[in-house]
Amino acid sequence: MRLFAVGVTHRTAPIELRECVDFARTGVDSALLALTSNGVAREAVVLSTCNRAEIYAVADDDRAGEAVGRFIGDYHRVPWDRLAPHVFQHRGAEAADHLFRVAAGLDSLVVGEPQILGQVKDAFATANGLKQTGAVTHRLFNTAFTVGKRVRTETGLGEGAVSVSYAAIALAKKIFGDLTGLEVLILGAGEMAKLTGVHLRAQRVKGLTIASRTASSADALARQVNGRAVAWSQLPDALADADIVIGATGAPEPVLTRARVEETMRPRRSRPLFVIDIAVPRDVESAVGDLDQVFLYNIDDLRTIVKENLARRSAELDRAERIVTEEVARFATWMQSREILPTVVALRQRFEAIRRAELLRLEPKLAGLPPEARARIDEITHLIVEKLLLSPTEQLKSVTDEALMVSYSDAVNRLFGLASDDSAPAIDRRRGQKAS
Amino acid sequence: MTIGSWLPAVLYTAAAAVYLANFARPKPGVGRAGTALLGAGVLAHTFLIGMQTVQAGYAPLVGTTAAVSAFVWLLGLAYLYIELSTDERAMGAFVAVLMAALAVLPALNPGVESRPPLLRSPLFTIHVLSLLFAYASFALAFVIGITYVLLFKEIKAKHLGFFYARLPSLQALDMMNARAIGVGWALLTAGVIVGAIWATQVHASPDPRAKAMSFADPKILLAVLCWAMYTFAFVARGAIGWSGRRAAWLSAIGFVIVLLNFLPVGYFLTRSHNF
Repeated sequence: MRLFAVGVTHRTAPIELRECVDFARTGVDSALLALTSNGVAREAVVLSTCNRAEIYAVADDDRAGEAVGRFIGDYHRVPWDRLAPHVFQHRGAEAADHLFRVAAGLDSLVVGEPQILGQVKDAFATANGLKQTGAVTHRLFNTAFTVGKRVRTETGLGEGAVSVSYAAIALAKKIFGDLTGLEVLILGAGEMAKLTGVHLRAQRVKGLTIASRTASSADALARQVNGRAVAWSQLPDALADADIVIGATGAPEPVLTRARVEETMRPRRSRPLFVIDIAVPRDVESAVGDLDQVFLYNIDDLRTIVKENLARRSAELDRAERIVTEEVARFATWMQSREILPTVVALRQRFEAIRRAELLRLEPKLAGLPPEARARIDEITHLIVEKLLLSPTEQLKSVTDEALMVSYSDAVNRLFGLASDDSAPAIDRRRGQKAS
Repeated sequence: MTIGSWLPAVLYTAAAAVYLANFARPKPGVGRAGTALLGAGVLAHTFLIGMQTVQAGYAPLVGTTAAVSAFVWLLGLAYLYIELSTDERAMGAFVAVLMAALAVLPALNPGVESRPPLLRSPLFTIHVLSLLFAYASFALAFVIGITYVLLFKEIKAKHLGFFYARLPSLQALDMMNARAIGVGWALLTAGVIVGAIWATQVHASPDPRAKAMSFADPKILLAVLCWAMYTFAFVARGAIGWSGRRAAWLSAIGFVIVLLNFLPVGYFLTRSHNF
């Protein structure tokens, strides 16, 4: 039984190639079924996001890794020559390490982003729904979920906004609690204003007001973001109503002066005003930030916050890596204990078969004995076999070194003339599934 | 009796330490441990007060030390209610420290003082309990106000750090402050009125303290000042929009008066309330 992780990620392949092998486009289900029906894998999970197309496969063959890689090419009709240099291949513990890092958000474009854990969960659920999973993938993915959860609760890897727009939204939430009741005033109607408007609309603010020196473009943007356009001359009124003001004009000089904002602050009483100046050159005089209830942030302030958050996240990397290493070690031990299992089972079956054969051979001689005595003989022979096997079984199960395990397994197989390998994994699989 | 009387203070101190640890480096398990310790402290305190009531035959509210004990107990109950209903633990660090500090007074002086005939009135119990509950509310408003100002300063200065990561939004803090002031003001008003009625009833009593019940007494004077202060805070929020930082400062000043009146005035200066 071998575990493989094979695929392409944003680290190994350019976007053009990733688009070509996107499983989400063609449907993950058919890929999963194809993988197991053509015998490439016993168990398979396909993880497909915009940054990665990965297959986690369990197979008997050591070379199944390449077969899975080729499958990705064949399935998407991408020539292997083109794909091969970009495909990563991990085996055993390395495969587990890769998945755990992915689930923890350590392999993400934005390190620590939380969506990926949900995507990993969905990928497993899909494969499980199609009955393409087994004991190994169950254990592997459940451990991955644990890793993701531990990294989130035990480290600060996912904390703090790491994009300018999220930093602004997070600030607004820290000031106002909830954005749904808020009035937002956007100054300007250009591309920046539009992006901000769309973003805020998605946050379900109560009202979006657009003020621009060019009335027609204000109208156009207002229609696009389901807002309201006001004439530039009505700016003071709009300002008085607003909770959040966004400066995004192309004006060469500040359009919001301290005097202008101060005027509107008096009737507002203690209601705070959050001014976000994303325009360059700036739309808002920096003296506005000195006003009592005004919070003024310009684009550089927001970038500084993002930079600090990123720095804080990378400081948490070590702790997250330690969690991954810990869980990989635990998983690897479990995998190895499974490797020896077929040998242990075969050995026990061999002893039991010999015992039964001998009892059968002696049957004519035992026929005259009373039933209690025969039961006693059965019991004693069984006990002898158990006692003989006790120490070898324990010894075999305690081996963790892979090379040693192979030689032990080989020796036991030869010494006791155990059956060839084909039957053993089948037994192993049945037991494994019962256990999971 | 000694262990029993120290137990609440010990548990509150442990809770304060755990709350501070959780505030410095938040972890869900540590936070829950803090709540559990504080809950255990309040429970032990409940038993203690219950025992004292059974032994003395009346609620142990006579004297400043007993009042401090009851105040700490009520503050714990009020805080736990807020924490369990909002799932916010950040304020606990401040509240538990205040509770631990004040709980030392009754622990050092555990006996129940005998009740003079003057205080044998249900009005007295209502008067003391409603005022202590008002003080507990004001203590919470004070803590909430402090955290509001700290968070406000961080956001204003664009140094998002310690409090930014730990406190709820300014809006939420302001709402909680308003509620705490509202509840406290209602109880303070009720307590003062009941106290005034009771004072007129006992005015004929031979006890010199009954004679001292007048505005000239520092305790009563400060209580009236306190009431004026919180009335202003309560009214100003609605009428002239004194919310946010102004409300926070008002609740801080108000609580300083409360503490002054409660401890130094209660222990050393008053001639009417020195039971």
